[in-house]
Amino acid sequence: MERVGWGLRSAVIAVYAFLLLPLAIVTLAAFNAGNYFTFPPQGFSLRWFGNFFARREFMQSLWLSLELGFWTAVISTVVGALAAIALVRGRFRGRDLLNAYVTSPLLLPQILTGVAMLQYFSLIGLAQSYAALLIGHVVVTTPYVVRTVSAVLYNFDVALEEAAQSLGASPVRAFVEITLGIIKPGVVAGAVLAFAISFDNFTISLFLTSPRLTPLPIELFAYLKYSFDPTAAAASAVAIGVTLVLMLGIARFMGLEEFTGF
Amino acid sequence: MRPGLSPWVSAALLLPFTAALAVFFTVPLFIMAAVSVSRQSFGRFEWAFTWKNYARFVTDAFYWGVLWDTLWLGLAVTAAALLLGYPVAYHLARTRTRWKPLLLVCVLSPLLVGIVIRCYGWMILLADRGLINGTLVEHGWLARPLPLMYNTLGVGIALVHVFLPFMILSLTGVIKRIEPQWLEAGVSLGASPARTFWEITVPLSLPGILAGSLLVFSLAISSFVVPVLLGGFKVYVLPIIVYEQILSVFDWPFGAANAFILFVISLALIAGYVKLTERALRGIV
Repeated sequence: MERVGWGLRSAVIAVYAFLLLPLAIVTLAAFNAGNYFTFPPQGFSLRWFGNFFARREFMQSLWLSLELGFWTAVISTVVGALAAIALVRGRFRGRDLLNAYVTSPLLLPQILTGVAMLQYFSLIGLAQSYAALLIGHVVVTTPYVVRTVSAVLYNFDVALEEAAQSLGASPVRAFVEITLGIIKPGVVAGAVLAFAISFDNFTISLFLTSPRLTPLPIELFAYLKYSFDPTAAAASAVAIGVTLVLMLGIARFMGLEEFTGF
Repeated sequence: MRPGLSPWVSAALLLPFTAALAVFFTVPLFIMAAVSVSRQSFGRFEWAFTWKNYARFVTDAFYWGVLWDTLWLGLAVTAAALLLGYPVAYHLARTRTRWKPLLLVCVLSPLLVGIVIRCYGWMILLADRGLINGTLVEHGWLARPLPLMYNTLGVGIALVHVFLPFMILSLTGVIKRIEPQWLEAGVSLGASPARTFWEITVPLSLPGILAGSLLVFSLAISSFVVPVLLGGFKVYVLPIIVYEQILSVFDWPFGAANAFILFVISLALIAGYVKLTERALRGIV
């Protein structure tokens, strides 16, 4: 083991560099003064951020993404947590099957979900609406909430709830005060994750978007198809900042190890 | 014995999401299947039952070429992700450093940054006037920029980057469950570290290798953003055909047929993935 130590270590460092490189480059390019990002950088500037915040279409889409992420998180957290409680604590047959069904949107490539939803919403006359966009996001984010809440529930000692009941609490009160208190980290992590995934979602939005409803990733994609200036980098840096704050939030409420399921 | 919720309460709790899933996910997929065997004449869609759309795919060498390119690219990306991911997963599973949470953040952070942004990062790096080429040309080390983007190479690099975290996470879970004593047993019986690695660690991590590979492969062949942004519509893969037929050509039946072909391939891969992860969990836990 000792002999391969340094070889393994340098390979690992190289791969981490590969993973972080594009994110670091985008952030640096956002603060770079020049039109093109070459090495060495051409000096520090905030003008791309200024450009980003001055463009009405970027501001509208940033606002839409934040709002959509918020409502997606609210809805998927409620329905996802309820489903998780039933899946972990319920006594009924066919639980494995239901579990697989509830998490199936995670396994299907999103381009297929997007195409199917577009055709469906067109048929029922709901295409290009805010409702369609919201439903699409809820369908793909809720499985994550089910997962995080289930993970916490599995480790939860039912004896605590029983103790509360034997001390005279009603089953409902025992549930609200003990169980909800204990699964709170999972619920919060699920909500944050749902927001982050909705905020960054591209593929579902692509099929359910309309000229008046363009979330930030779609706006960014459209911008990148025709222009290459670092305003897109500033937009990306803002989005990375939002995600970073959320990641720290998850790390605080729920260990990252638990969160990834190790 | 854990006390459980009664079936009625469970059903009530499950109802909101399963009902939404049935109406907005399962039904749309069935409708997509129905659309794929329907007809569209002069831009007007009409319900029908015809295999024409599938016949058009199967009889046209262009679409076979696209399918072949898609699968080949998926395979290359999977192999590269396995090669890069294994050392990191091995290290992550074995390390006792107190920086481990930070390492996990590094592995996860690309996952939580939007895919468009990750592609844009690679565009800044790989474009003709990007960081690599721009720097090399400006300093006179190169006369002409290297062809790094708008080709299969660029798409491949970005795809590996986008899906590497999934490979690392799949592998780490399995490698972590390999007891150190088993490796010590190998060493104490006189095996070299290399032999211990190849004959004990690798076979025991095989479920993770297979699961991670299936996952990355199925994600890679259904990726759309990466081939568009890094390939610039010069690299044709199945998802691009689906997108073009649905959103540019507006030939819904043919687009749906393409999507359904992708669906069947993914479904086969997912079934394999689920079976593998289940068996791996049952065998070890």
